[in-house]
Amino acid sequence: MSKSTTTRKNPSATVLIVGAGFAGLGAAIRLQQAGIRDIVTLERADRVGGTWRDNNYPGAACDIPSNLYSYSFDQNPDWSRSFSGSEEILGYIQAMVERFGLQKYIRFNQNVTDLAFDDELGVWHATTEAGEVFSGRAAVMAQGPLSNAGFPDIPGIEDYQGHKIHSAAWDHDYDFRGKKVGVIGTGASAIQIIPELVKEAGKLTVFQRTPAWVMPRPDFETPDWQKTLFRKVPASQSALRKGLYLAHESMALAVIWDSPVTRMAERLGRWHLKRQVKDRWLRRQLTPDYRIGCKRILVSNDYYPALQQPNCKLITWPIARLSEHGIRTVEGIEHQFDAIVFATGFDVSHSGTPFPVRGSGGRLLADDWKRGAQAYKSINVAGYPNLFLTFGPNSGPGHNSALVYMESQIDYIVKGVKTILSRNLKALAVRDRAQQEYNEAIQQRLAKTNWNSGCKSWYLTEDGFNATMYPGFASQYANQMKELDLRDYSLVTA
Amino acid sequence: MAKIDLDKMLTKVKNTQWALSDIDWEAPGADLITEEQWPKLKEFMADLMWIEHVGARAFAAMAKKAPTDTLRELYTYFHAEEQRHANAEMALMKRWGMLDGDELPEPNINLRLVIEWLDRYSDEMPVYVLGTVVPMLEIALDGALCKFLLDTVDDPVCHQAFEKINDDESRHLGVGFTVMEMQGHGATYIKMVEMAAQLMDPRLILGIASYFPLLNKMRDNVVAMGLSEEKLYECMRKFEKIGGRTEDGRRNVWFQIIKQHSRWVVDRDNRFYHAPVDAIVRLTGYIPRKALPAIPSWVRELTYKPTA
Ligand SMILES: Cc1cc2nc3c(=O)[nH]c(=O)nc-3n(C[C@H](O)[C@H](O)[C@H](O)COP(=O)(O)OP(=O)(O)OC[C@H]3O[C@@H](n4cnc5c(N)ncnc54)[C@H](O)[C@@H]3O)c2cc1C
Repeated sequence: MSKSTTTRKNPSATVLIVGAGFAGLGAAIRLQQAGIRDIVTLERADRVGGTWRDNNYPGAACDIPSNLYSYSFDQNPDWSRSFSGSEEILGYIQAMVERFGLQKYIRFNQNVTDLAFDDELGVWHATTEAGEVFSGRAAVMAQGPLSNAGFPDIPGIEDYQGHKIHSAAWDHDYDFRGKKVGVIGTGASAIQIIPELVKEAGKLTVFQRTPAWVMPRPDFETPDWQKTLFRKVPASQSALRKGLYLAHESMALAVIWDSPVTRMAERLGRWHLKRQVKDRWLRRQLTPDYRIGCKRILVSNDYYPALQQPNCKLITWPIARLSEHGIRTVEGIEHQFDAIVFATGFDVSHSGTPFPVRGSGGRLLADDWKRGAQAYKSINVAGYPNLFLTFGPNSGPGHNSALVYMESQIDYIVKGVKTILSRNLKALAVRDRAQQEYNEAIQQRLAKTNWNSGCKSWYLTEDGFNATMYPGFASQYANQMKELDLRDYSLVTA
Repeated sequence: MAKIDLDKMLTKVKNTQWALSDIDWEAPGADLITEEQWPKLKEFMADLMWIEHVGARAFAAMAKKAPTDTLRELYTYFHAEEQRHANAEMALMKRWGMLDGDELPEPNINLRLVIEWLDRYSDEMPVYVLGTVVPMLEIALDGALCKFLLDTVDDPVCHQAFEKINDDESRHLGVGFTVMEMQGHGATYIKMVEMAAQLMDPRLILGIASYFPLLNKMRDNVVAMGLSEEKLYECMRKFEKIGGRTEDGRRNVWFQIIKQHSRWVVDRDNRFYHAPVDAIVRLTGYIPRKALPAIPSWVRELTYKPTA
């Protein structure tokens, strides 16, 4: 664990949190509100924000309405639009840090490289790249599900001599005006980037592998009266939030299971495409060939129109390789570019862990997860006492705000930590049996969902195991997280 | 040709990609085309290019209907590879001064009808209909047209290009015949009747009505260039032999239908088949261009330029 002699040990805290994104910060707030103030949050970057610090490409915005994509315990009456941009969301996160005085907990530039449990002491130790060790009685892994992005493994990527930009690490100094630009990918980020880039670039070429379902996006500027109303009558904002929540819950019917609502949603998608794209071949290229909901559903009003701008072209030929000057596709043509934008998503680990996590007796989480990640209620793992996961296995929302799920997780964590403290526990360890039973039920339910209906997506492992999504309504999830059932845990007192 | 492992084939296809810029289209040798050859070669190349392009579109339709992920990906690649062949052939035409500026060679009326049909209906055809027609077309391409071209044309760049094209085609054929056998596998009487019943689909009949005259017209064109009919026969026999080498293959009703039909096409003495079809060719010649809908936009994707 501690390889170098320069390792510096810090006094043990009550809770150790890895990551200062929405999840890590939210956990700190709720712990603090519960009277637990001995918190250390380790963040590898030099600022808070996670997703919204890193993803600030042109057009970056949330695709769940801001009034729902925010914390219920810290509502913001001032959202400027229904779907706010990245900068505004980051502003909200930073303001949250101020409001709740979280700065004192955060250690920046601390990239966690190892997390290990000491059975003897009942303490987690996090070792960082900087050579420090931080400890806590409980640990929260909030390092983000989509926080690691790299250039994809396309043959010849090293050969390309032009400018390479990843959507999650935007180069704001690059001047796109008049340039020949290629965009690889047509997922959630790409469809936000393309309508912006097409305004600047001389020529924009978009490389698509799989067309996604794209829905109309009901995006409006927030009228001033509404902001005033929300400020004066916070209950009105809560009511809107509730309404949005229920509207999204109802979408589960279309997204998660194959139901008549699924057909309706597909019809809406096709209508949107037909209304915006007149050319039959282009429409064919953009028509998804998998059931809606199987992969992430996208929302946009300006993506299809952008593709049809005179300086934009969609390429659906498979990519053969990158070359010195551009991208060679299988139809034999080399498409040459000044810059290539990789909107190719994130490295999602279904089975591994982003850094070694060592539990009781030194067991490795990556080994336990070799055949697909598993947890109890997505939050605890048998063999890893006092460890809490945010966005753990099978907690992914397909139809509702990630933050709704996160709130349930965070409150569960507070309950767990309180239990450890009040009963003075060395180990709060979920039982193997409980985890197993939970997972059998989850996998049974997953088998009947659209995600497992045959399309390839980042939700699934190579052999089709779904360790990502939660097969049910957000309210069902919230319900299961309400109670910390001690019968499912073994308790070791200190 | 033994039955092949489609997953391995996909890997192989991905690992053996080439691009137009791998060929020096300005290399010496273009002047080896004789003046006498030139006008007929121009027609021949245009036909060839269009067949590849039409074949490409057929693969696109097959990709939509493919029964497995591997086949879907293979067909997606083959779609692009056929397009690459058409692009390369267009580049040869450019090299030989056969293109009118940057213009696409004008598709003849029968081609226009086939393009129109592919655009409207091919995506709805069951995969085994196109899955049998395409190998037949490819074997004709591979076995007769390309070989003939190489026998007649001395330009080394042409040989270089077709070496690559033929490598691709042999893989397409390998997959094509494997799939034909898969489809015949365990075919019960009912399934055979079902497969044959597709013949009654009016959309398919329309397709046939546009496809038969195209074949006759092309056959006339290649024969005019000096390709012996014997060569065409050889190809058809090859198709029959490979397609019918196993019980499964023979049980594929579409193989039987296409086989029979290809026999008729090459047999110019079969008045029963050719009189009406040739009549249609003549008739279609009267269709005013303006009566046809605009050329679909996928046709405009063709290019002779190695870089874009
Ligand atoms: C472009 C984009 C748009 C999205 N839009 C939506 C949306 O509209 N609705 C929705 O519900 N969800 C959306 N999401 C999902 C989004 O990721 C989550 O909603 C949420 O922001 C995740 O928060 P988090 O705190 O779990 O992770 P993050 O925000 O990723 O934060 C994790 C933090 O941990 C840090 N970290 C990582 N590893 C280490 C380490 N080893 N050591 C120390 N620190 C580490 C990171 O630097 C980061 O600051 C979107 C995601 C992306 C990428």
